[in-house]
Amino acid sequence: MTTIIRITLKGIFRDRVFQGIMVTACAFLLIPVIASLSMRQVTELSLTLSLSLISFILLLLAVFLGGTSLWKDIERRYTFSVLGLPLSRQSYMIGRFGGTALFVLLAAAVLGVAAFAVVSYSSAIYPTDRPIVWSTMAICILFDALKYILLIAVAFLFSTVSTSFFLPVFGTIATFLAGGVTQQVFEFVNSPASKALSPLVKKLATILYYLLPNFGAFDLKVNAIYSLPLPFEGLLLTAAYFVVYVGLLLSAAATIFSRREMR
Amino acid sequence: MNAIEITGLYKQFPGKRMTKVDALKGLDLTIAAGEVFGFLGPNGAGKSTTIKLVMGLLRPTSGRAQIMGMDSNQAESRRHVGYLPENPAFYDYLSAEEYISFVGSQFKMEAALLAQRSEDVLKRLDLWDARKRPMRGYSKGMVQRVGLAQALVHDPDVYILDEPMSGLDPIGRALVKDIIFDLKARGKCVFFSTHITDDVEKVCDRVGVINKGELLVVENVETILQRGVQGYSVFVMNPDGAKEELFIEKAHLQAFIQQSVVNQQSIEKIEPRRKDMEAFFLEIVAQ
Repeated sequence: MTTIIRITLKGIFRDRVFQGIMVTACAFLLIPVIASLSMRQVTELSLTLSLSLISFILLLLAVFLGGTSLWKDIERRYTFSVLGLPLSRQSYMIGRFGGTALFVLLAAAVLGVAAFAVVSYSSAIYPTDRPIVWSTMAICILFDALKYILLIAVAFLFSTVSTSFFLPVFGTIATFLAGGVTQQVFEFVNSPASKALSPLVKKLATILYYLLPNFGAFDLKVNAIYSLPLPFEGLLLTAAYFVVYVGLLLSAAATIFSRREMR
Repeated sequence: MNAIEITGLYKQFPGKRMTKVDALKGLDLTIAAGEVFGFLGPNGAGKSTTIKLVMGLLRPTSGRAQIMGMDSNQAESRRHVGYLPENPAFYDYLSAEEYISFVGSQFKMEAALLAQRSEDVLKRLDLWDARKRPMRGYSKGMVQRVGLAQALVHDPDVYILDEPMSGLDPIGRALVKDIIFDLKARGKCVFFSTHITDDVEKVCDRVGVINKGELLVVENVETILQRGVQGYSVFVMNPDGAKEELFIEKAHLQAFIQQSVVNQQSIEKIEPRRKDMEAFFLEIVAQ
């Protein structure tokens, strides 16, 4: 499996899509200038823009690498040669996922360093009243990366059942959008404000809440920007949720992929 | 132990409008270790389906296939196999050298042995100069040769080659035939599909003809060729120095030779005239 991970990483580094996405990272250079236009809270704005840019780049990577990795292998007939080796389909799929996930972690680390540099620069020129908690910022980026790794697992699950890139790519985007609001919807349907809603809609919203990934739990941007303390138990719970959810998605994907006909 | 054992292999694909298409109808076939077996059939006959089932790429509707005694659904059964898919495609961002190294590592080859074998196969398949270039820049023939190189690198006992000569120029085809002869000499089993009868005639011990998902016949190539002899072309020189070519029926050859001695004719060459593999193949498929 490690060789599959290595091959996957090599493929991503040599991929033009990746190179194009990484050019987007050059936008980091503009952040101090844009933030300075606000005239106040320059550091906070630098932090907000940096974290948002990281999130955006990781989203692009998750959708395009996660959504096309397996599909491309099948479409371009690479699977015929690779699965003709003494390698189980599960190992192959998990290896492809592992390589993509590892790359997202690496990208998050590199982008994180760029964000640290940008925020340091901004705070040196426009000192802030509130101290910057670097560890919170690092944990915020880490959980952002975990969120997108979970999204990659979703993309892989879609890839195992799809014969085109539409479902892996657009299904992943739809899941991302829905998963970002499930927490708010769930809280709304369980609040007194939702009295007007029919029980069926409430039930449906609750089912979707448990079925779809809850990306809201991974969002720690407010804590990082305003130096708020991190909820330790909440982080542990989110990490456990990540492990269980990714495990379930990959198990389902591996089961489906092992039965898929390579015609 | 047989190299490949196929028992009652049946494959049905979903067709249009909820219909089912029988791609393979209860195939039984055994290929011995050290045997070169040609799997002959027209396009769409079921050759690639059979190979994909043997390689575990498709799941049989019923029946089973075994490689070296192991069920082909198990990944471990492929440890003994060098497989070349039909119209192969490989990660095109890798170079041939990187891909061969990846394949070798999947077979748990030691680094030193892998480096040596990789050099050997890349040189043999005339890919040495291009070994460091990404495969996306390779021609179809070069990709086909990478396919052969990756099948050969770990020196397995069983080779399953789906249309190995496809996309190759005459030099490449001759090279593949050479490689198969070499594997045969080293006691390896080669199971390859083709629709080119000449390939089978030259390199195979046995041939199986498949059409419309049914295995029609399995026969020794030598037997087919012997059976197909209809007569001989005899090139003689008469006492006056004139040369002529005569057709002599199979049963009359001995008598003709004796008579030519009496007639003071010198025999310069005798060539058998026979139905070739193509005629045999067409006859079987037409039935």
